[in-house]
Amino acid sequence: MAWGPIGLGLVSLVLVAQASALDLPYVYTRWKQFTVANGLPDDHIFSVKSDGWRLWVGTENGLALIDKRTWKVVRTWKEEDGLPWRVITAIDVDPKTGDVWLGLFGGGLARFSGGRFDHFHQLNSGLVNNVVYGVAVENDNIWAATTAGASRYNTVTGEWTIFTEKNAPMEEIWNYGVHYRDGKVHLAVWGSGVLEYDVKTGRWKEYLDPDGEMEIDLYRDDGIVHVIVTGAAYVENTLWASSYFGASRYDGRHWRGYYNQDSGLPSDFINNIRARSANEAWFATDKGVGVITDYQTNTWVAYTMDPKTRRGRAEVYRDRELLRIVDMEVGIPHNFIINLDLDGNDVFVATAKGLGVGLGEDYYAGLRPEPRAVAGGGQ
Amino acid sequence: MIAKLLSGLLLLAGIGLTEEDPRLRELIDPDTAEILRRIHAVDAYTVPDLELRKDPNYARTPADIEPYSGVRPYKEHFLLQMQYHGPGRAKPEPEHVDTVKIGFLGPIIPTVSVATGGKSHDEETIGIKMLQGAQLAVEEANAKGGYFRRNIPFELVVSNDNGLWGSSGDEIIKMAYKDRVWAILGSIDGANTHIAIRVALKAELVMITSGDTDPTFIETNIPWVARVISDDRQQAYLLVDYMIRKQDYKRIGIIRSSNRYGRFGVREVKDSCRRLGRPVVIEMAYRLGQDDYSLQIERLKAAKLDAVVHWGNPREGAIILKQMRAMGMDQPFFACDRTISKIFTDAAGDLAEGVIAASPWNPDRRDPKLERFREAFRKRFNEEPETYAAHAYDGMNLLIWAIQVAGLNRAKIRDVIAARTKPWPGVTGDIPFSAAMDDLGEVFLARFEGGRWRYYSREDLQVPRGYIPPRDRVSRNLPTED
Repeated sequence: MAWGPIGLGLVSLVLVAQASALDLPYVYTRWKQFTVANGLPDDHIFSVKSDGWRLWVGTENGLALIDKRTWKVVRTWKEEDGLPWRVITAIDVDPKTGDVWLGLFGGGLARFSGGRFDHFHQLNSGLVNNVVYGVAVENDNIWAATTAGASRYNTVTGEWTIFTEKNAPMEEIWNYGVHYRDGKVHLAVWGSGVLEYDVKTGRWKEYLDPDGEMEIDLYRDDGIVHVIVTGAAYVENTLWASSYFGASRYDGRHWRGYYNQDSGLPSDFINNIRARSANEAWFATDKGVGVITDYQTNTWVAYTMDPKTRRGRAEVYRDRELLRIVDMEVGIPHNFIINLDLDGNDVFVATAKGLGVGLGEDYYAGLRPEPRAVAGGGQ
Repeated sequence: MIAKLLSGLLLLAGIGLTEEDPRLRELIDPDTAEILRRIHAVDAYTVPDLELRKDPNYARTPADIEPYSGVRPYKEHFLLQMQYHGPGRAKPEPEHVDTVKIGFLGPIIPTVSVATGGKSHDEETIGIKMLQGAQLAVEEANAKGGYFRRNIPFELVVSNDNGLWGSSGDEIIKMAYKDRVWAILGSIDGANTHIAIRVALKAELVMITSGDTDPTFIETNIPWVARVISDDRQQAYLLVDYMIRKQDYKRIGIIRSSNRYGRFGVREVKDSCRRLGRPVVIEMAYRLGQDDYSLQIERLKAAKLDAVVHWGNPREGAIILKQMRAMGMDQPFFACDRTISKIFTDAAGDLAEGVIAASPWNPDRRDPKLERFREAFRKRFNEEPETYAAHAYDGMNLLIWAIQVAGLNRAKIRDVIAARTKPWPGVTGDIPFSAAMDDLGEVFLARFEGGRWRYYSREDLQVPRGYIPPRDRVSRNLPTED
């Protein structure tokens, strides 16, 4: 395990913008990295979920459990250990039961409970397809976003419900992500934008790209930036969405589109998203992590790894203006980011070559006057 | 020229290919050698410095049929090629393999699939042609020695994608993780192919389609896909230019299948007609497998059309044509490339005369490569190759070439295809890739004349083309300002 060191000597700050004091966001400067060298079953991390002291890591070849109290990989599971399929693309934990739900890439859905895996697939359940990209726990229900529709499993009644173009406004059925919060389920659908399901009323609402064209985004702030959506997150009555073409935010009244050209997004190719608030969202791109830390001022932090030195780097942007560069001995383990999780003040970054854990003991939301803000980590 | 050759030889030496099989060296031109040098030089954390394709405009779309042509868009996509930024290039080649597996995904068994609109109709006939083309390419490669670096054969891993709903995803998973294929050719149906490429993206596996003409296939920003057949967009542009810019038809109607192929196939026809000021008067959809189209044809007839466009399979196309003529509709009949089929001409009989279909290639082209392919195909399958066999042959040969030169590494196989500096010299013609890795090769119109299809280029028929701006839409002046 590589440790992100604490101390001024190991984290350097480069001022690249005006010398006068700026309000700046919190920057994560304490990072840990986990790879097969630390006991992970595979370096290609597809999913990560933090649950109390447990950190579940889904890889291309097995599941791992990291104990956050000791930061040790305490257990791994492969197919020979009962894991129904090797590739784990999504993880969620049922807060009521502690059951761990795994979305398996081509293997269906698995429940890990009491040390046993229960396997749900196309041929033994109401799971609509075995290629599962997203899993979310909604009250007693488990939602699975699959490549040919969404399925909902009621863990109390055992009832399955399938959602496709037959009973939901899915122009295409290729579900990519699912998220539940505050009474609403959001499906990120490749080719069908974001679909919102109101748990109370059972009604659907669709969010599509208003221009209806694949090759352009006509206006930046007229709706979701593209119909091929990879992830959705809903928090504080605000919807965040990611796509392979940029990102979107909707507060119920106004839309805002984000591209690399107008924000701190390292790339427009975004694999996934997690949101902490209406003000802060994290984007997993193919060139690093992009974090909008303050919506009003369009302030971003982009976390990358220098491929030559392997050192971590954080760049603070306002719009496209680079304000600060923070150099770190250890940062994210790779720039190809596949997934994310946020838990308390900490962040968990699943990359194509290792897991990154950013510790934010003194994390603060929004902006604060520098330099304390940029340095972070108690400096 | 000599300097370039010398430079290429030096590069080959530089990447350690001096002692390789001379057959392999024949496949590596100086540009490819430079690409190999760059991709072999990187580790898991570095992205090679490969020149990314840049297009001045999307899909060579004329200004007057661009969407929202009077408005400068905030963002225009697909003009800069996507790069793969993952660590895959650093994966070591496997120590032991008995064969070099390449996946084939296509509808080869007739089944029922919700994803493709119900019971499969005729697509397996296309899928089998595609499989034959792919098989021939693999067999020829094996006859020449197989995978040169290890003297082992290529093996085609064949999967049917006509099965359960979304089963193409399962098939790609199986090929990626169990069969351990190095690349995939497939498929035909747009819905199944979309499912497959999403899996290929996550599994980091090259997928080339030689049969899916749905324009949205490459409109996904996936750096792992390419297409070696001209899509419905290019076919529609030529058809519409012929119907409106040349023939000045004012009332065009559409009849199409109600599946994704029909729905997306006519989209560019409809959009282009509307943008040229001749909106499609009527669009009728039909359920696949129908035999009676009188309801749709009555509506078409009532619309008093100048021309009818059909987008669907050849069987349905022939029945519709016959019923149209029987019901007194003598308008010109235009159709998609699937119409260029023995199924259509056999069923339509004399009524096929004069039918015009878009074609992604010109099978009458004089080309020794094409002649050799025809002869080999006849010898192997005792029949003539058609569009889907020929394009599959090209696609499979491209994959075989990429595996030969890049070695057994999926990311590098992707790289050598993505970074090719020259069009792929296929039996269907040169295949130049766009920034979105789409086939931007020439398309043709096929007219059934005197009992056979004859192929005409845009120039042959003197079909006018709209002005194609040489700049992207975001940075160019609005049309009124030019």
